[in-house]
Amino acid sequence: MFVITCPYCGERDLSEFAYGGEAHIARPEWREDMSDAEWAEFLFMRTNPKGILAERWMHAAGCRRFFNMLRNTATDDILAVYRIGETPPKVEARLPATPSGEAPIGSGNDAVKIIQPGEGA
Amino acid sequence: MADETGGAPERRMPLFRRQAIEGAPGTLRLEELAFAAKFILRLDPQAGGEAFGAATGLDLPPAPLMSVVNGERAVLWLGPDEFLVLAPEGEAAGLADAVASGLKDVHHQFTEVSDYYTCIAVEGPKARKALMKLTTLDLHPRAFSVGTVAGSNFAQAQGWLWLEHEAEGAARFRLYVRWSMAEYLWGTLAEAGREWGLPEQEPVTGEPMLTESVTSRKA
Repeated sequence: MFVITCPYCGERDLSEFAYGGEAHIARPEWREDMSDAEWAEFLFMRTNPKGILAERWMHAAGCRRFFNMLRNTATDDILAVYRIGETPPKVEARLPATPSGEAPIGSGNDAVKIIQPGEGA
Repeated sequence: MADETGGAPERRMPLFRRQAIEGAPGTLRLEELAFAAKFILRLDPQAGGEAFGAATGLDLPPAPLMSVVNGERAVLWLGPDEFLVLAPEGEAAGLADAVASGLKDVHHQFTEVSDYYTCIAVEGPKARKALMKLTTLDLHPRAFSVGTVAGSNFAQAQGWLWLEHEAEGAARFRLYVRWSMAEYLWGTLAEAGREWGLPEQEPVTGEPMLTESVTSRKA
């Protein structure tokens, strides 16, 4: 269990929240000639990174509002919480090193701008 | 069965079979506050807060998790554009009319939920301790002061907890919970209060969904 900071209600337990999938996926504008592949791309395809993911959450037991969160899916670090309609903030990620010398855990996603510690904004 | 109401079902609240129960003196008390008028208001506070205040005498809470009380009426913050409006029994129709005319030029929704939620009053010096057993909310006086409203899960039921009043360490909470969850939550609260002497509440079996007058008419 971990604590999530709702942008309206403040710090609450995870059990109050519902997961809403990946954030910032725009529904394509309807066209007559839209292919199934295009539609499927919107409907099913997700980035599923091992790393930092922008995702939607809803405070289901509290204010019942959706909001966005940047979470490291490998470590469950919550890096930022921001409201619907806001742009994802730039975050500084703590990416744990792997023992085998591969890329550090959580470095796999380049959809979100990651500032390494000490790199500066 | 002929009666003064002409056979109409009697109005009752979900905990109508429960009497108020009390633990050892100066500890904890549970009671259902039945029949009070409750409304859900959906309104952008920037757009219609003043008009709502003029119509009802209630200002909207200025910040999240806050409440505003004026006499017997109160507004509880549920969300950035969602509020629970409380009034005594019998004022529902008047309040609805006042809001409808006062906010007729503002996009809003005002829905009566008097019979959708019920209210369990949890009072006494041990009220915080008892509720702490059911929820993950931080109920320490430092974090949950008088007037605070918070939605959370209480055992398995979602509800809204409002600390209406506190004096000399005795808190008076109101817990707003859906009708169908009230019986369950009542039993769970009684269980939580057993260490202070609340009597065990036997589960009531066989929900009488129809009142006597309706069943006898069918037969």
